[in-house]
Amino acid sequence: MIKSDLSIMISGQAGDGILFTGDLLAKIFKRTGLEVFTHRDFPSNIRGEPTAYTIRASEKKIYGPSDEADILVAFDCELISRHLPKVNKEGFVICDHFEKQRLNSSLEKEKIFFNIPIRKLARDYFRREIFKNVITLGILSYFLQLELDLAAEVIEEIFLQRKGKEVVDKNIRALELGKKEVERVIKENYRIQLPTKEDLNRLLITGDEAVALGALTAGCRFFSGYPICPASEIMEWLVRILPKYNGVVVQVEDEIAAIHMTLGASYAGARAMTATSGPGFSLMSEGLSLAGMAEIPIVIVYVQRLGPSTGMPTKSEQGDLNHSLFAGHGDFPRIVISPATIEDCFYLTAESFNLAEKFQCPVILLTEQLYAQNYQTVEKFDFSQIKIDRGKLITSEELISQNEFLRYKFTKDGVSPRTIPSMSNGIHMVEGNEHSESGYRDESPENRKKMMEKRMRKLKAALNYLPQPFLSGSEEAKIGIIGFGSTFGAIQEVKNILGERNLPIQTLHLRTLWPLSQDTIKNFISSKKKVFIAEHNATGQLCHLLHLVTGPNSKLKSIRKFDSQPFRIREIVERIEEEIKR
Amino acid sequence: MNLQKKYQINKPTWCPGCGNYGILEALKRSAANLNLEPHKIVIVTGIGCSGRINNYFKCYGIHGTHGRPLPIASGIKLVNPELTVFAVSGDGDAYSIGISHFIHTVKRNSNIIYLVVNNQVFALTKGQASPTSKFGFITISTPYGTKEFPIDGVKLALSAGGTFIARGFSGNITQLSNLIKKGIKHNGFSLIDVLSPCVIYNKAQDYRWYRENIMNLDQDSSYDSNSRKQAWEIINSSSKIPTGLIFQEEKPFWEELILEKKKPIAFLDLISEEPDYRAILNEFF
Repeated sequence: MIKSDLSIMISGQAGDGILFTGDLLAKIFKRTGLEVFTHRDFPSNIRGEPTAYTIRASEKKIYGPSDEADILVAFDCELISRHLPKVNKEGFVICDHFEKQRLNSSLEKEKIFFNIPIRKLARDYFRREIFKNVITLGILSYFLQLELDLAAEVIEEIFLQRKGKEVVDKNIRALELGKKEVERVIKENYRIQLPTKEDLNRLLITGDEAVALGALTAGCRFFSGYPICPASEIMEWLVRILPKYNGVVVQVEDEIAAIHMTLGASYAGARAMTATSGPGFSLMSEGLSLAGMAEIPIVIVYVQRLGPSTGMPTKSEQGDLNHSLFAGHGDFPRIVISPATIEDCFYLTAESFNLAEKFQCPVILLTEQLYAQNYQTVEKFDFSQIKIDRGKLITSEELISQNEFLRYKFTKDGVSPRTIPSMSNGIHMVEGNEHSESGYRDESPENRKKMMEKRMRKLKAALNYLPQPFLSGSEEAKIGIIGFGSTFGAIQEVKNILGERNLPIQTLHLRTLWPLSQDTIKNFISSKKKVFIAEHNATGQLCHLLHLVTGPNSKLKSIRKFDSQPFRIREIVERIEEEIKR
Repeated sequence: MNLQKKYQINKPTWCPGCGNYGILEALKRSAANLNLEPHKIVIVTGIGCSGRINNYFKCYGIHGTHGRPLPIASGIKLVNPELTVFAVSGDGDAYSIGISHFIHTVKRNSNIIYLVVNNQVFALTKGQASPTSKFGFITISTPYGTKEFPIDGVKLALSAGGTFIARGFSGNITQLSNLIKKGIKHNGFSLIDVLSPCVIYNKAQDYRWYRENIMNLDQDSSYDSNSRKQAWEIINSSSKIPTGLIFQEEKPFWEELILEKKKPIAFLDLISEEPDYRAILNEFF
């Protein structure tokens, strides 16, 4: 059987080591030249509770999970019944023999089952059940006709330094055992043939890692944060790497301290960043307002997870769009940008620092758990594209020629020159209170009005520098889809499927959410008969935002999903087809 | 006196008799005495009457949010350790809304100087009880008297591992400016809790009350500020409030542990010194 787009789901309990197996498999696929997207559907729990890891490998570029699985690996019979409906018609199930004994026999009639005593093999041969994961990898290597050498190579890379040769050898034996065992049991040929290509040094990387790498290359040398799912990986990556480049990462007492320390660092001259998720961003809103008032450039990475409150911390949602746009007291300029893909996480993070310094305001990089903690193959990042622009940060030499330094000087674009402490002619006050051009407190109505107008002018000036939306599909199409963030992959696939069914679609994927490029949005919507807005939240926050631009508009149709699972392509396709028929 | 002129800027608008005048004077005196250049000083303040102090002292300054001057100040110091960085709070700022930052900055032993202007009342918001208010203190927010016992920042700092713990009095500028000087020279976090009368909202504890109720440790030659035991005894047993240097010890400080004598982040030239990042990609292949 030849497959150019394959999806494998591995399911078990948290603590089973499923994430590890999935990561290995993803790396193996990547090395065979395939495009990979992983989806780790795991609970907010360390041991016990269901975990599923889906790895999609495709010949074509992909940006999201697929609707169905071709192979289900199940370590738990309760999970078999849960996941079986996701297995497609030709798909099959690899099932731990022991678990199968407790399986409802009616289920077995639905799909092809390969029953292999995986746990028992692990116990018998290695005395430890955890080896079931690598045995499973051996089993899959048989079905997918993968060279064992490739798996062995990846295992060695992971274990050799950390755990030594003995552990590597044991794991390689487990790999061989899995393959041999399946050869022994299987009579018919169910082997799948996958295309192979050259890997070309592509990267297998998560959104959080891409953000961290983007920050590093943009010259970010200060990070302070507080652990929170799904943003901690940014801090954990940077704390390993930044010190090698004279940078600093500090874990502090809470997100209030995190944003204020970031503000202090930026004020003192560093390119500085913090990262958090919904609950942490709530605590940061006081500091966000200060950044707006004091015109201190900072980058805040906001990795959305499912809320409200603690919600489901390891699941993805786009329910914090409003929060990112409107948190903070008082009017102040902010820039909110949202990467569409993991590649975009890298390039837009780097650009965030330029925007923050050019417009001396907080920049919020809004991402989502769905791509923040999942792996995807991307083209090797092009560092030469990263340019550092520190805006109106002036040098000591430039200062000497000035008679009087005014930190908040009224200017045409609203952006004033900036100095850092230790510059002898650049002394100024940074006030959270309303202040005059020199920075000292000034409560006169005339000054207040002028100063507010100065700050808000920066947004207009920023419009020409903001990341442009991704526009794809034919301009002639009468149906449009608008989205932002992680829905990019699903929306592109919907566009392709409907295109094949003679329903041309054009898509607009917003990458700047504030300030909005009104003309782009208006032009897109006015060229369409119907525009679907697909988003992962309950109230249609993006749809509301677009209504701010268009006013009441019956063309806009909201498609929402908020059950903690990413859009299935089919769900959007069906919804659009239904609406068109009306 | 002329030496202090370089710090002159704007005329203070505190109430006549406010303790903050004494603190501003002591700050100027200590800076002048150590010949600190205004552009090498940063004062970060919280919200409250004391928060205005950097509007009246010429140097780099941030007047930020309520209770948060410490994390801002630590961020500045970490990026440029060559600066002399002060944080200034009131007792509400330090021991109420900002107490978490206070304890954690003691824990970090960040090399900054923290002046807590302690007047036992929320003054700028017009007279509510504060975390250091005496038990039973009657205010507009506690008309039947406070039902809580006061927090003592000095005791907290000592139990949390503080390395420089002092108490001053805004009515004794000589002592206070000496304490600030010692605090600047100390490697690590220097807490100076300054008893400071609010002549409007805390009439019970005026200058005279303080003079009658404090003692000066500097005059006690038997007191050893390197002794944790003596420090603990004096702040718990003395019938009068001890002022002066209460405790000091040498301990590695945050910035030296983190930075290990690298070039300050503030002076990295991000554009011309751009390093090669390609090797980092290996882990993603």
